[in-house]
Amino acid sequence: MEHNKKESWDNMEKIKAKKVIEKIKKIYGDSGDVNSRIIDIKGTKVGCIFLESSSQTSTISDFIIKSTVLVEKDKNLFNNLLNILKNKLFNCQLFTIKNFDEFPYYLSSGFTIIIVDGHNEAIIMETRAELDRGITEATSEPVIRGSKDSFTESHSKNLGLIRKRIKDPNLWFDEIKLGKRTKTRTTIAYINGIADPKKVNQIKKRLEKIDIDGILDSGNIRDYLTPQKSIFPQIKSSERPDLACQELLNGKIIILVENSPFVLILPTIFLDYIKSSEDQNQKAINISFTRVLRFFALIITILTPAIYIAIATYDQNTIPDKLLISLAIQREGVPFPTFFEIILFMTVFEILRESDLKSPTNMSTAMSIVGALVLGQAAVDATIVSPITIIIVAITSICSLIFQDNDFINGIRFWRFLFIIASSLLGVVGILSMALIWITKIASLENLDTSFLSPLAPFDKEANKDAIIKAATPSLFKRPRYVSNENLTKQGGKK
Amino acid sequence: MKKKLLILIILSLSLCGCKDYAELNKLSIVTAIAIDKKDDKYETAILIANSQKPQTTSKEGEAQTTVYKGTGKSIAETIKTIDKKSPKHLYFSHVNVVIISEDIGKEGFLKVADWLIRHPQTRNRFYLMQVNENKASDILKIISPLESFPSQSIASLIEANKNSRSIGDTASYSNFIGRVLETGYEPIMQTIKINGDIEKGSGKENVETAEPKTYLSLGPLAIYKKDKLIGTTTRKQTESIYIINNEAKELIYTIKYKDNYINIFSNTLKTKIKLKSANSADIYVKGKGTIYEINGNTNLNSDKEIEKIAKAWNKKMKKDLEKLIKEIQENYKSDIFGFGNMIYKNYPKKWQKIKNNWNDKYFQKFKITVHTDTEIVSTGSLTKVLKDDEE
Repeated sequence: MEHNKKESWDNMEKIKAKKVIEKIKKIYGDSGDVNSRIIDIKGTKVGCIFLESSSQTSTISDFIIKSTVLVEKDKNLFNNLLNILKNKLFNCQLFTIKNFDEFPYYLSSGFTIIIVDGHNEAIIMETRAELDRGITEATSEPVIRGSKDSFTESHSKNLGLIRKRIKDPNLWFDEIKLGKRTKTRTTIAYINGIADPKKVNQIKKRLEKIDIDGILDSGNIRDYLTPQKSIFPQIKSSERPDLACQELLNGKIIILVENSPFVLILPTIFLDYIKSSEDQNQKAINISFTRVLRFFALIITILTPAIYIAIATYDQNTIPDKLLISLAIQREGVPFPTFFEIILFMTVFEILRESDLKSPTNMSTAMSIVGALVLGQAAVDATIVSPITIIIVAITSICSLIFQDNDFINGIRFWRFLFIIASSLLGVVGILSMALIWITKIASLENLDTSFLSPLAPFDKEANKDAIIKAATPSLFKRPRYVSNENLTKQGGKK
Repeated sequence: MKKKLLILIILSLSLCGCKDYAELNKLSIVTAIAIDKKDDKYETAILIANSQKPQTTSKEGEAQTTVYKGTGKSIAETIKTIDKKSPKHLYFSHVNVVIISEDIGKEGFLKVADWLIRHPQTRNRFYLMQVNENKASDILKIISPLESFPSQSIASLIEANKNSRSIGDTASYSNFIGRVLETGYEPIMQTIKINGDIEKGSGKENVETAEPKTYLSLGPLAIYKKDKLIGTTTRKQTESIYIINNEAKELIYTIKYKDNYINIFSNTLKTKIKLKSANSADIYVKGKGTIYEINGNTNLNSDKEIEKIAKAWNKKMKKDLEKLIKEIQENYKSDIFGFGNMIYKNYPKKWQKIKNNWNDKYFQKFKITVHTDTEIVSTGSLTKVLKDDEE
């Protein structure tokens, strides 16, 4: 260990607590939150240094300072002050380090460093302040039937939320620190023996390659883990520990990033966005029905505006008589082409959604009045758009909001606009050719040797028991093969 | 990948262009066509369904209809003259109803039909009807208070009668053309007529009164030979034609029994035609009836009485049908029942000999026997009669 020491610390022949503290203060640029205390124990100086911003000062006073002062009464004091201190301190997270370069990491994480004169070792003690909001209800993925807790910004709490659900010691956490400046703790969680070790190694390699000054959220490392370009997200993120554990049991790998309540789930397939975390908690038949519904919603939200444009401007003969006349009357006096009308209102809706997401809650009432009344009713009355356009845009947007992942919704939005453009140029033929391109594109996506469209393509009969149609849980014996080939038996292995 | 995508897009672009592009508000949606004969020329009237009512917001049901007329030597020519009048592009794929006048029927419908089939937009699923006394174009003007525009009111008139009076397929264009083209089958056509004054019926006031002055109603059947009109039946005959053609879905039969009129309702009437030989055929009518109304005194408690009523019904129906067949055979000389077609299928060699003179000579000699076998199964909700005349 000692050869790791850098020059700056080397030239101190004998460690002096006061000098070390001065040096640390200098490294921190004399920031106001760097606090220190030097206690004189019969001539030997013991220095404590901590950041008051990230540590709990009462813990420091109660345990460190008190113990240090009490140590004075010990008879064997001069034998080894450091060791005695180490044994007398009341704290479970306590250890010594020799590499003084690591001081800033521990200090920023809320540890207190104790330096004793003449010892080239330092005692590190955890005195972290609770700087998170505690475990609260999941806000971005609400469920009706299921556990209500969610991941938080605290890394150890997040690990705990998983650990308490899966008591198997084979649940392994591999930790890497990412970011040159942020030194963010990033944990790869997987169940040894179920998860594919190749995939774990691949993820580790990809993460180790990251050379960036800061990682602040799990979203930041997403792109490093997906080599292919795609509008659709290839990594699902979730703030629900029950979903994360469910996926761990399926053999997937979870990445937790410090300070981020969202974990990443790898490998993700297309159907994961159609599934919901509460699917496992309800009757299989009802869930199958709901998933078919979500699937239809997906098709509706991508295709409705395009189909409307195609049949209203090219294939009017496919519309029933009464509807056609009604549509024609509605469009009377509208100055814009159908295509432009749709694009205009789609854009207006997207702006509305974006501003609704970003605005504080007490402003959303005003927004909904302006959005619903002014834009909807008044635009129709002023014959800027026809009522059917409003209906089309409304159906499309309602169906897209069925999905929980914002990235996925935005992916759908992108393809919807492509479909609109294709159908306005070529009608139904345009929709068909764009559909071909779309399917080709998402079928070519692959991450960690798992095809994005699996288990539909390549088809896997066993995994299709829980794809769109879900079989009852007692009859699901195998884990999906596309995730991992290790130990496929989920239940009924004793037979 | 990008190259492939580009090729795919270019390929699909070359498959079709923007030439079919049309905005909905740039179309005049034609829902009905009426064809008249004016001297040597044709006069075509079209009904445009989507003209907007003035000073209203654009909402469903606020549509107003407009009728445009044009004359010319051919149908295409008449449409061309109309196209010049209409500010929007005429759109024919939603034509619901085609009405022809008596003159067109006499001259031969197929002359007119060519344009209707050949036009790329028209579908061949519309109702085809003939008007007898009035001009065909007048039908398009009559506004019904219950439907938003005339072609709709005609279509719904037919659809409402499909079950009750079993007009059904007779009025459809494909059925007519199918019969014209089939061997040994002569077509029939539904007629429609205007009741009341035409001028009053085309105005707004016709919709606003509680009892509309002018309305449309379905008339009897017109009998055709090939595509030419040869005569119109009476209402009574129309009903019998439906029975023989096995198209009578719901039927109310009135018979006279012991000086009282009894109405029998039946919705199970089934007719089968069996060819005995090349010269004769049997018609079997089977079914069950319910007594609908008795306006006199009849004892319905005894089975014998009911049996007697059934017998009287049987007899009456047999007489009616035989009378009708005779009339068709002798007066119209047009095989609208398709006996010729059955001979053609069963005795093809014989048919080859007689096919040229079938309608004029052999059809008259064709021997048809009617067998009716019907019974009365229910007397309705009443077992007795309300007014008891017994002293």
